Amino acid sequence: MNIFRTALLLAQKDLYSELKTKQIMVTQIIFAGLVIVVFSFAFDPANNTTKAVIPGVIWVIIVFAGILGLNRSFISEQRNDTMQGLLVAPMEAASIYLGKFIANFAMMLIVELVSIPFLFLLFDFKFYGSIPYFILVVFLGSFGFIAIGTFLAALAANSKSSEMLLPLLLFPITTPILIGVVQATRIILTNMEKFSSAVAWIQLVTAYDIIFFVVCFLLIDYVLEV
Amino acid sequence: MSMNLEREKAVLPGSQLTVKKSLDISKILFGATVISMLVALYFIFIFAAEEVTMGAAQKIFYFHVSSAWLAFMSFFVTFVFSILFLIKRKRIFDTYAYISAEIGVVFTVIVLTTGPIWAKSSWNTWWVWEPRLITTLILFFIYIAYIMIRQMDGVWDKKARLAAVFGIIGFADVPIVFFAIRWWQTKFHPIVFGEGPSQKGGGIEGTMLVALFVSLAAFTILYSYLLHKGVSFEKMKIKVERYKEKLREDLEN
Amino acid sequence: MGFEFMYGAYSVAWVVIFGYMVILGKRHTKLKKEIEFLKQLEK
Repeated sequence: MNIFRTALLLAQKDLYSELKTKQIMVTQIIFAGLVIVVFSFAFDPANNTTKAVIPGVIWVIIVFAGILGLNRSFISEQRNDTMQGLLVAPMEAASIYLGKFIANFAMMLIVELVSIPFLFLLFDFKFYGSIPYFILVVFLGSFGFIAIGTFLAALAANSKSSEMLLPLLLFPITTPILIGVVQATRIILTNMEKFSSAVAWIQLVTAYDIIFFVVCFLLIDYVLEV
Repeated sequence: MSMNLEREKAVLPGSQLTVKKSLDISKILFGATVISMLVALYFIFIFAAEEVTMGAAQKIFYFHVSSAWLAFMSFFVTFVFSILFLIKRKRIFDTYAYISAEIGVVFTVIVLTTGPIWAKSSWNTWWVWEPRLITTLILFFIYIAYIMIRQMDGVWDKKARLAAVFGIIGFADVPIVFFAIRWWQTKFHPIVFGEGPSQKGGGIEGTMLVALFVSLAAFTILYSYLLHKGVSFEKMKIKVERYKEKLREDLEN
Repeated sequence: MGFEFMYGAYSVAWVVIFGYMVILGKRHTKLKKEIEFLKQLEK
């Protein structure tokens, strides 16, 4: 498929330039570490009740670190005036979106891979639940968040103050995904008896992912118009 | 996108300043609004029976529900006109979508202020994390973001395009938000259909129902008046902008 | 019983509705002034 080939090419370009500069990912990881430290002030790690907020903290880290990366993905194209080049290149808008999405998603997964074990380590969290399901939930949640986030970043990039606009657009739209994913994470990490409702939440998040991925795919043509 | 496309292409036709006298329909709508509002107030305060347990505070219900209905309706109108704009690319559709979203936000503010007052009187707490309340709050934030997209700088068709896209996404999000919150609030026992935790206990009396429908009708007329008014002002603004553009063109040549 | 809540809620509702109408009116007068100015300019 032509769309996927160009998308992969674009993602490769983004990831390659990221590998050279290491600008965004280092910032994201350091930021995630700082958020963990701030949370250790807010909730005493020695206290036993702190275990209850861990699922929420995981998603706060992902959301805030994700916003940093999403902000950069289209702004950096505009700084270098390469957006126009991408738009007039012989490829569809959908493949620009897909390429950016793949790049952001890959970076997000790497950040999660580093910061979530770090969080468990620092808060001395004993893992009772099932690891494969935890990974599945994190994967699905980040997928939906980055999918809609990349789309809205492309939309907000038209504004001069897009760094401020993006969170305002993104947070209300992603509330269902955040609710679903926090609930599912909480059940999987602490209370495996209620596993059936975790499955229901995973289904909700999956449905959201599919619906919004398709909607973004259809509407991206209108956002990325010359 | 990053290139400077901030100028309108050419001076568009129809840049005369003569304001047409189309005040008739606006006057009729205004009169209808005033009359229907007075009738609604009569029905609410005099005709409808007073609730036994909640007393006079129950009368908040009529305006609260009507505002919620009006807000949802105007967001739906925004959604429809956003789709129409993306298909037809006519500026009038964009104007309707914008004004409708603005009216929706105003009435969401009414819902979000009268709601807690009512809650304080009947549940003795200002705010309950209940699906309908949270959905309304999130709806409010979504359309605030919509209006912020409209405040961006740039040419109108870019802003209109982006806002229309966001209007579609935002409205598509609302049912999912509602279901997600309902599942969350029912303590992990998902219900897809049927009644969730309900605000209203038991049935509703006949006179109250009549009063409710009268105030719904009154609010719908109020909505059409505000929409007409807002759109006519917006049209006027567009005319003034075009005229300025023409003047600038004349000065340059 | 509950009258103060009723008065509170209805006054808030009317203040918001009339406030919006006043804002619309302000926009209208601003536009009118602008039109007057432009007409003066044309002469």
